[in-house]
Amino acid sequence: MKRLIHFVREAVANIRLNRTTTLIAVATTAFTLACFGVFLLLYLNLRSMATSLQSDLKVVVYVKDGTPPPGVSDLQALLKADPGVQALAYVSKEQALADFRAQFPEESHLLQGLGDNPLPASFIITLAPAYRSPDAVRRWADRLKSAPGVEQVQYSRDWIDNLNTIVGYLELAAVGIGTVLSAASVTIIASTIRLTLFARRDEIEIMRLIGATGSFIKIPYLIEGAMLGVMGGAVSLAMLRGGFELFNARLGMPGRFLGIDSGFHFFSGQVAAMILVAGLLLGFVGSVVSVLDLGRAKS
Amino acid sequence: MIQIFHVTKYYERRPALTDVNLQIEKGEFVLLMGPSGAGKTTLLKLLYCATPLDEGQILIQGRNVARLKPSAVPYLRRTMGVVFQDFKLLPKKSVYDNVALPLLVQGLPAFETRRKVMEALKAVGVDHRKESRPAMLSAGEQQRVCIARSIVNSPIILLADEPTGNMDAELAREIVELFKTINARGTTVLVATHNRQVIEQVGRRVVTLDQGKVVSDEGKGL
Ligand SMILES: Nc1ncnc2c1ncn2[C@@H]1O[C@H](COP(=O)(O)OP(=O)(O)OP(=O)(O)O)[C@@H](O)[C@H]1O
Ligand SMILES: [Mg+2]
Repeated sequence: MKRLIHFVREAVANIRLNRTTTLIAVATTAFTLACFGVFLLLYLNLRSMATSLQSDLKVVVYVKDGTPPPGVSDLQALLKADPGVQALAYVSKEQALADFRAQFPEESHLLQGLGDNPLPASFIITLAPAYRSPDAVRRWADRLKSAPGVEQVQYSRDWIDNLNTIVGYLELAAVGIGTVLSAASVTIIASTIRLTLFARRDEIEIMRLIGATGSFIKIPYLIEGAMLGVMGGAVSLAMLRGGFELFNARLGMPGRFLGIDSGFHFFSGQVAAMILVAGLLLGFVGSVVSVLDLGRAKS
Repeated sequence: MIQIFHVTKYYERRPALTDVNLQIEKGEFVLLMGPSGAGKTTLLKLLYCATPLDEGQILIQGRNVARLKPSAVPYLRRTMGVVFQDFKLLPKKSVYDNVALPLLVQGLPAFETRRKVMEALKAVGVDHRKESRPAMLSAGEQQRVCIARSIVNSPIILLADEPTGNMDAELAREIVELFKTINARGTTVLVATHNRQVIEQVGRRVVTLDQGKVVSDEGKGL
């Protein structure tokens, strides 16, 4: 307990000792994590958008014109029994016409020339979650196309697929950029700690002569690194929050868009905590790297 | 307790110690004499493993110092108290914290640390300066803080390099008395000094070094 207080006090003293380098280390870590955080924000928001779009995905199964009512019932039964179908709604020819008229009152004259009601009846299907991936939807639709009474199966998920592709690229970019920036901030933190070690080399030597073990001497520096990292993480969160609010105020789209909650969201508490932990780890690794030199020096 | 066999130590190819042999028994009080540059500090440094030796062997409490693993060195040092010629106090810590350091390193409980530190500070007469930084103390006071730190741990071996170098005769006398008391409690004491007064006051074994060689060893068994 007493030793723990000693370690933390030493770490704080070291941080105070090299204010400028501490500032640089914190700023670098903050910048690193902020860059990464921007990606993470974009990524998490797009991903949640993609997920919510996917759950909104509707597949329309058009019924062949002239299918007798028993055929329609058979098709309905078939769909109901299908494990891929989570919910389905039947839109009769009459309903379709009424919908069209209600939606496009100006164009309703277009239908006049086409004899009586050219619109087909349809089933509007919400797929079960397991069937919402791009491949699964395609397979499911292809299978249904050959069912009796089916004219056509329609779904539009091109742009959902595009979104998924973007999300995939973002993941890659985040990993790449994250790696490079992490290496940078580990290096900076390591040299910050090295400066402290250098500034205190005489004191370290005295500690050794007094009978301090290597780990007793090193622990304060490890704590110092971790503290620098957490501070960097906190600063980056503040920066991200500020930037996020600015972004939202400028071009935020309040409310809903395409029936989807399109407002961007900031990190959940969990993700924010993870960023702090990431800072801590970066700092810790940085100090471990610098303290390794100390171990190599003769005792 | 301390066995030194044919020890030779070079600094940049110049010998600081040449073929030194010395046996010190448990509970002995030995004074190490010799002109400046004779190798007294070097010999003490070898004993607390602050510098590697080039030839010969040193056994401390039966353990071969040269073969000690680096991780074992701190534990050997914890059994010794060292008064450094240049004090080696931590400049940013108070007198109290400096003296408490050997105990902190070992993780002694707080109340015991307090008691031992105060006891050591009182023994050397600097307990009234315990909140000060070393730089605010006179050289003699700093030296006494260093002595307090060396005895706080009740060491088995006490190595003191010129421990009265910055003190007047009266103060030096008190410090030597302190060493004698510690020695009487069973600690083996080795003191390097130029001070004639100290030698007379102790009246025990005197080993003299000159140019890295033992030139005399008098009063053994006294
Ligand atoms: N770190 C070092 N590097 C090179 N030479 C050294 C070093 N330390 C000591 N020496 C040399 O070794 C010799 C012995 O030095 P040492 O410090 O042991 O003398 P000493 O007997 O303690 O002298 P003093 O009474 O002045 O303290 C001297 O010639 C000194 O110049
Ligand atoms: Mg000397």
